[in-house]
Amino acid sequence: MSIAVIILALAIGCYAVAVLEGWAVHGRLSLTRPATSALALLGREQILPRTSDRLFFEVGPVLLLVAGLLSVAVIPLAPGLIITDLAIGALFLNAALAYVLVALIMAGWGPNGAYGMVGGWRFLGQFIAYAMLIVMPITAVAMRAESLSTTQIVLSQAALWNIAYQPIGFVLFVIAAMGVAWLPPIDLPTGGGDLAGGVEAEYTGARLAVLRLARLVIIVALAGATVTFYLGGWLGPWLPGWVWTALKTLAVAAGMLALGSRLPRLREAKYLELSWKLGITLALANIFLVGVIALVVPI
Amino acid sequence: MSELTQYAILLGLTLGTVGLVLSIYALARAIGRARAEPAKDVPATAGTLARDPVWVRYHAKYYGYALLFLAFDMEMAFMYPWAVVYREEGLVALLDMGVFLAILFLGLLYGWSQGALRRQ
Repeated sequence: MSIAVIILALAIGCYAVAVLEGWAVHGRLSLTRPATSALALLGREQILPRTSDRLFFEVGPVLLLVAGLLSVAVIPLAPGLIITDLAIGALFLNAALAYVLVALIMAGWGPNGAYGMVGGWRFLGQFIAYAMLIVMPITAVAMRAESLSTTQIVLSQAALWNIAYQPIGFVLFVIAAMGVAWLPPIDLPTGGGDLAGGVEAEYTGARLAVLRLARLVIIVALAGATVTFYLGGWLGPWLPGWVWTALKTLAVAAGMLALGSRLPRLREAKYLELSWKLGITLALANIFLVGVIALVVPI
Repeated sequence: MSELTQYAILLGLTLGTVGLVLSIYALARAIGRARAEPAKDVPATAGTLARDPVWVRYHAKYYGYALLFLAFDMEMAFMYPWAVVYREEGLVALLDMGVFLAILFLGLLYGWSQGALRRQ
């Protein structure tokens, strides 16, 4: 029952994020554009590039979608409304998101095309930049909650949301999340206007539809994770829990898209430098600060 | 729900996703197939075959970061169990991990001073 509800909510969320992304990219709000472009993609020819690595080419988009759905599985929509309330939920989210890298390298390597390959390898560099900034802020969140279960993490924020308790962690996590979902300004693997689509360059028709759907699922998963870890999940007055989760998730996704549409693309070298020199230092300081606060204040 | 049931659900979710993708592909195939035309399957390089082969070795210019990343990623494996019992253990946990993280951070600073944190 709860599985069906969450899958339905995810589908609606993906559609909403697609509408928002169209708004952010093209500057026009169209409620039907995602549906028409999905239909158009299904109607288009599916071309298999010559001398491609068929296995990697086919598995890439599917693995990306699986990674996205598995990370959604541990995000609670409301108390009890979660696909699997794993005791190691936060760690499982990390593990699932690690496959985003694998899938994109496969999608880049598979078609034997130069642009796809460059996009895939760029994402490897991007991964080394964002990976630590996903796991380190989550550690600080788990320190406060004394648990890795996502439900417990939400409950631990009853007195004060983590965005106020550990604002540094929030900022780092959101920027890293934009890296995972290759949202602008950190959209190195696709790099519109630069790489002719990058990893998407050789994908056509239904395969491209699956690849884009997978990316939407990942954006929703990361916005949901931000809400779960930092914005108090389903907690909120007056409205029922699931409405709060849905509203907050859409707000975070809209915020990430709006931020991206206003910034120039970051080079991989610059992103690595910023993440390791500034980001890691701040993340360690965040863990230390949260450690001191958690010992002094009982909330 | 027992742990085993939860992982069975996750496996089912994975298989269901694969099924969804296969049915999307089947739908697309039912609509029509690609017409075989010459040069249609050339990868995106302005209509000509790529001058150079693509599957070759690439210089990972961020290898300095990559090596540090390995050290930090291993450290995270210790951090998660520590984070869960942190409040129980109290000050001892803070000091223990503080020493560990300080050593690791010194390693990062050393790598930085030796020029590991730049594109080679």
